[in-house]
Parts: sequence; structure tokens; C-alpha cells
Amino acid sequence: MDFISNLSHNEQFLIILLTPLVSALLIALFLRRRGTLAMTVSVLAAFIIMAVSLNLLIDWNGKAFESSMQWMSLGSFHIDMGFYFDHQAALLLFVVSFVGFWIHVFSLGYMDDDNSQARFFGGLSIFMFSMLGIVLANNLFMIFVFWELVGFSSYMLIAHYFDTKEAASASKKAFIVNRVGDFGFLIGIVWTYWHFGTVNLVELKHMVGVDPSLIVAGIAFLLMCGFLGKSAQFPLHVWLPDAMAGPTPISALIHAATMVAAGIYFLCRVDFLFPAEVKNVILWLGAIMTAYAGFCALGQRDIKKILAYSTLSQLGYMAVAYGLGYPGLALFHLACHGFFKALLFLGSGSVIHACHHEQDIFKMGGLIKRMPVTSICFALGTMALCAVTYTSGYFSKDAIIEAAFLKNRSVYWVVYGAAFLTSVYMGRLFWVAFLGKPNSEKAANAKESSIFMLLPLIVLATLSVLGGYTKFWPQEMDDVFIHQLHYVYETIGDLGLDPAMLLAGIAAWALGLLITFFFYHPGAKEDRLEQKARPLYLLFKNKLWFDEVYNWYVAKVQDRVANVFGFLDLALISGVAVRGTAGVVGLFGIFFRGLHVGNLHGYVYWFLAGFVLFCAFAFGFL
Amino acid sequence: MLGLQGYLIISTLLFAIGFFGVLLRRNTLVLYMSLELMLNSVNLALVAFSRYNNIMDGNLFVFFIITVAAAEVAVGLAIIVALFRKCRSLMVQDLTRLHN
Amino acid sequence: MVEYFYYFFAALTLISALLVVVCRNTVNSALFMILSFLGMAGLFLMLDAFFLAILQVLVYAGAVMVLFLFVIMLLDVEATEKSRPTWVTLLASLLGFVALAMGALYVFYEPGSAALFSQQLPEVQTMPTDAAPMAFTTSVRSFGYGLFSKYMLPFQLAGFLLLVAVIGIILISKRSLHSDNNNKKQ
Repeated sequence: MDFISNLSHNEQFLIILLTPLVSALLIALFLRRRGTLAMTVSVLAAFIIMAVSLNLLIDWNGKAFESSMQWMSLGSFHIDMGFYFDHQAALLLFVVSFVGFWIHVFSLGYMDDDNSQARFFGGLSIFMFSMLGIVLANNLFMIFVFWELVGFSSYMLIAHYFDTKEAASASKKAFIVNRVGDFGFLIGIVWTYWHFGTVNLVELKHMVGVDPSLIVAGIAFLLMCGFLGKSAQFPLHVWLPDAMAGPTPISALIHAATMVAAGIYFLCRVDFLFPAEVKNVILWLGAIMTAYAGFCALGQRDIKKILAYSTLSQLGYMAVAYGLGYPGLALFHLACHGFFKALLFLGSGSVIHACHHEQDIFKMGGLIKRMPVTSICFALGTMALCAVTYTSGYFSKDAIIEAAFLKNRSVYWVVYGAAFLTSVYMGRLFWVAFLGKPNSEKAANAKESSIFMLLPLIVLATLSVLGGYTKFWPQEMDDVFIHQLHYVYETIGDLGLDPAMLLAGIAAWALGLLITFFFYHPGAKEDRLEQKARPLYLLFKNKLWFDEVYNWYVAKVQDRVANVFGFLDLALISGVAVRGTAGVVGLFGIFFRGLHVGNLHGYVYWFLAGFVLFCAFAFGFL
Repeated sequence: MLGLQGYLIISTLLFAIGFFGVLLRRNTLVLYMSLELMLNSVNLALVAFSRYNNIMDGNLFVFFIITVAAAEVAVGLAIIVALFRKCRSLMVQDLTRLHN
Repeated sequence: MVEYFYYFFAALTLISALLVVVCRNTVNSALFMILSFLGMAGLFLMLDAFFLAILQVLVYAGAVMVLFLFVIMLLDVEATEKSRPTWVTLLASLLGFVALAMGALYVFYEPGSAALFSQQLPEVQTMPTDAAPMAFTTSVRSFGYGLFSKYMLPFQLAGFLLLVAVIGIILISKRSLHSDNNNKKQ
């Protein structure tokens, strides 16, 4: 450990950033067919990242650190690559490296029967590289580069089972929808550069601090588009549920804990560029998403899709926190959500693996008897998600709800309702899948998973329960949110609403869990809502027909426009320009070939013609 | 006295007649003879110019032309004989191996 | 008096040349060619180029045309030129002839060229002098003077060319053993 401590900050960051890249390169170049060796390399890289990150956090003196290096320059324009490490980055570095490492360990157990382990672990390494790049970046261009890289890793990993149609199309959908958001993002970044003259985060903060009138709402709005794409908020949320076609560790790592959180992290990084109007938009988009996703989760039978909609809902909470003006609370919820959502996904992965890839909850049941450790961890995660009192979710989510109460009453009722919905759909999931009697062969034969899969579950369960106690948090990390948290608590306390808020919170989760216990019987075979109120169930299941609308738009409008452009490209560029010039040259060739008549007299006539032309020219007729 | 013009007109006409022969005839040998006519016309023009400019260089050049023409005729006829052996015909329209 | 000689030799040359071109019989063409060369020699005589006139008769008429006649007889062309040229060919050739003749003769009737051509025959020496070695004389000695001083290089090259031509002819005319066995008619 001494050896690591003696390295400078810069070198430590380079190790953190480049180790996964080296691992990915090794796997891609040499270890394509050696699955076990690839697994070892990748997990080792993740361990190194976690060790160095922890060491860095322990040694850090709390001062913001920036270093930069010119990567590419074209005249007076240059793109830098550098690190900017402040409290936000510290928090997220911990989350990414810690959760990432445990998910790597989980994958050792989950992917043991897979055919292409090397590809999977190579993809994991590339993803870690890209995500750490976003966390540590110090300027907008670098963030964008790694943003796209994360999108690519996501595409590659979702398409792990690429021979199934749904995985292939889901990966494409994820990438394309992300790209739509990134289009606005890129324009925003270019505008930022044009308006401010720099894209370096430290310099931007300084410039805006000196002269707040430099803020432009348009820039913030466009940068928000990137957030909408990456964090799957309305209207670009359609890719996240489909992305569940990827392997479960991917869903845990990318689509729960880290990548979708990158959007929130980015918003917090450039918080100083956002005026109140744009924050209001984010507030309402997030609020709508919390409720909408909750309703959609009630119409799903697949365990992973339920968890995906839950992620959408929680991301909405983070957006609400940010929109209210408390980015610290958003990051706090991001960290706690990272712990318990990763736990829930890994738990579902354990269940899926044990049931031989059965994912319908109504075909499971009675798992608590057969897989006790998994079930208990899953239960702890559910409690944290429903914000049961004194779990980590309670501290983070209720802080957001109370902040909404203070600032914007209508939003408060929306997010409070969404909290109730959370416990409804999570209760549905837990009672149906884990209690009662097994409903299928596969569930009846399930047995507890290997230690590789259980150990991360236990670790993350511990954090889900204890992570909310800010006493345990080192000062470097909680500095981001601790002041805002205390401010919210104190204000509520001043209003004398402390007990009322506590009761309201308890009511939300307790009522939800109880109602679903009696409505959906434990271990139910059929969805009772579907039977009793079918139109309502269908309404939830259809998710407001977003996918259908987008499909119609793409098929009828966009494809036609693309066909027009494709035709123009084919006709004009390849037809006229490319084949045309070739054709003209060919015509010349044919013409000159025609001169080779093989007849001597023909050649003589050509000679005569040339001579006449020459004479005419010489005598001045031409 | 005849001026330079007279000799040059003869030379030109001779050249044109030679060219006419090249265009008209299809027998390779007669074609070749027309070519020789053209060479001869040049000889005449050179000597005429040499005489009227009071200089010897034209005559010397004609000397060389005659030499070269003799060598050229020999080689050309050898080629025609070889062609005749190959294609069994002296007619120009049968010698089309370079077509296209 | 001189004009009559000029007209006679000119007519001889031109008419013989024309007959070369239009004659059906190849041998006749060759013989008319010899006649044309004789006319040319006469024209050379009128231009005081005596050596060249003899050279024309000796080399051109005597060697080159004889070679032509040998080849004509060797190739034994029997059924040649039995068919007359088509009207198209005749017309095109005439057009070509006219074009060329007109183009070239135009030079003489261009305004400003009259002064160029109406010169008198200047007087010529009979022997070259050291002062003006390249002046036009009627003796062969000038040829010697010119060939061995100013035109030494072309002279040597001409010799070399003749050597190459001889080698080339031998090579081209050689029959390979293969074709010897195949071509019995030869």
C-alpha cells in the first residue's frame, strides 16, 4: 500500500483510468478463446481499480485537484484530456469502483455456463474505462468522448446474446436513442465553446462565478438532452426496459448503478450553467417519470423489466432533487440507489440463474425456502428501495420528498404518490416471486447460488442497510450533500413537521406492502389485476404506447426521408459523380479504341486530318 | 528563268500525288512506292532551296535522305515479304491484326 | 530554251508519278516509277546538282527500284487488284489529294510571298574555297568538304544505319526451320 501512496495523484488517476483499458486490450487481442483467463484478467483489473481508488480516497486531503494535457490541436483550437477531482468525483469514483468490483465478482458465478466469456469480460473492462473517464474528466469534450464510449460499451454488452432477435434490436435501440440525445448534447457543447471560449469545467465555473449573466438557457437545455438520453428520462426513456435483454450483471452495472447515473452526475458537474427555467423543466420531467414508471411496472411480469421501470422511477427522483436545486441530494440518492438497485438486480440474477433463465415472476414462487440467502438479501434491497425507515433509501429518498414539500407542493404530491407506487410494485414482485409455493418445474428445482454470486449480495445488502447513516461516511465523500441534507432536516424541523413526515413515509411503504400482500396472494399463479381489471392492466402494460408512436414515426416519417436522401446519394453522388466521371473516361477510351480500325487507310486519313488542322492553324484560319 | 516557285510547285504536286496513291491503292507494294514518291518530292524541294540560297547543306541533306531511303526500302520490303509469308496476301485490308 | 527542258522534265515526272498510282499492273507501276526518277534526275541537272542527279539514277532508279521489281516478281502476285477501288475510296482519295495540294500550294499565293520566290538563279562557283567551304558549287569536292567536316557525325551514323539495316533484313528474312518444314509451297 505504501507503494501506491507514494504515487502522485496524476499517476494514481492514470492507473485507475488505464488499467481497464489494458485489460480490455489484452482480452481483445490475445484471450478471445481463453474464457477463464479473460475472466481473471478483468476481475483483477477491477480489483486494482478499487484498491487504488480506496487508497486515493483515504489519502486525499479534500482539496480539488485538476490536471490537464493537450491531446489534439488544430490551429488555435485544442482538445485537452485531463482529470478534475473534487467531492462529486470522489463520491462517484467510490460508487463506480466499489459496485463495479462486486459485479465483476458476481459475473464470475453468473457467466460460468456462457460460451463467450471473453467477449463479456472484455466489454466489462471497456465499460469501466469509459465510465471512469466520465467520472474523472475535466472538460466537456472529454466527457463527450467517454459518453460515446459508454454508449458503445452498452451496445456491445446488451448484444451479448446477439443471436436472439430481441437482444440485437434492443442494443440498436439503446444506441440510437442515446445518439438522439447526444445530438443535442454535442450542439450544446459546441455552443458552450463558442459562447465561453473554453470547455474546461474549472474555467467555466470561474467565468460564470464572476459574471452570472453569461448563462444561456439554450445551452443548458441542449446539455440536458444528453442527460435525457443517457439517464433514460422522458421522452428518451424507451431504451432502458428493452436493454434488459442483456445479461443480468450488465443490467446491474450499467443500467442501474453507473451509466444511467452518469447523466445525473454530469448535471451536477455543470450545475453552475443551469438557470432556473431549465431546472424547472428537469423537475417536472423527473416528477412525471417517477409516477409514469411506477404505473408501467405494475403491468410487467418479467422480473428484470419491473426493476428497469423502478430504475426509471428512481432516476426521476434524482432529477426532481436536481430540479429543486439540491444537486447534493441527487448524488446522495444516486449512491444509495447504486447500492440497493445493484443488489436487487444481482439478486434477480441469482434467481434467474438458479431457475435456469426463467424470468416471469408468476412462474416462480417459494424461493425463500430454496434460496434463503438470496431471498434475504433481496428483501433487504426491497426494503431499501421502498424507503423503509432507517434503511439507506429512507435517508436519501425521503430527503428528496421533504425537499419537494418545502419548495413545490404539486411536485410533492406526485413524488409522494410515486413512493406509494414503489412499494406497491415491489411488494407485488416480492410476495409473488419469493413466497408461497413454486409455480413451475424450474422454480421447484432452484438451489442456492455459488459463493461468487452470494458474496456481492451480502456486501451490497450491508451497504443498503447501513449506507444511509452519514456518520459512517468519510468527510471527503459526504461533503457533497451533507449541508443540503442538514438544511432540509432543519427546515422541516423548524416547521415542526418532523413527526408528520415520518408518519407519512411509514404510511407510504407499509400500506403499499400490505395492500399487495392481500391483493396479489403470495406465490400467485396469475396476475390478479389482469383478471379483475383488465383494461387498467392493459393500460399499464402498454406504457402509454410510446414505443408504438416512435416505431410509427421511424417507419413512416424518418425512413421515408432517409430513403429520399439515400436515393439522392445513390443517384447523384455514386451515380453522377463517381460513375459519371468513370463513364466519361470510359467514353474517351471507347472513342480512342475506335481509332484502332486496323485498316491502314483509316490511319492515313487520320494523318491527313491532323495535317489539315495543323495547316489551318499555321496559316491563321483557326 | 524559272523561279524557286516552279520547282516547289512540282515538289508539292509530287507529294500530293504520292499521298493520293497512299490513300487510293490497296496493294502494299504500290503503296510503298507512293511513299517513295513522297520522299523524292522532298529531295527536290531541298535541292531547289539549296541552289537558290547558294548553300551546300541542302545537297548534303539529300545525300543522306537517299542513303536512308535506300536502307528503309530494303527493310520495308523484307517486312512485306515476311508479312506475305504470314498472311498470304498483299492486300492492305487483310492486314488487320492490330484491330481493336 | 531552258523552260522547255523544265516543262519536259516536270511533265515527265508528274505524269509518270500519276501513272504509278493508277496503274493496274504492279510491274508497270514500278517501271513508271523508274521513269519518274529519270525525270527527277533531269530536274536535278537543271539545278546544277550533277552529283545528285547521277546518284538518283544509280541508287534510286538502279538499286531501289530493281529491289522493288525483285520483290514483285518474288511474291508472285497473280490475282491482285483485279477489283477496282470503290467509288468511296476514289472520292475520299481525291478529296485528300485536293486538300493536301491546296493546302500546300496556298503558300505560294499568299500575299507577301511573291517577293520570296521571284529570285534569279544566283551564280555558282565550280570549286569550293577555304573562305566559303559550304557554298554551293557544282563539283563533288564540296560534298567531300561538307561530309567530312560539318556533317561528320551524320555520315558515320548513316554508315552505322546501313549496317543495322543489313543485319535487320537478314534477321527478318530468315526462315525458321519450323516454318521450313510446314511451308512446302515456299
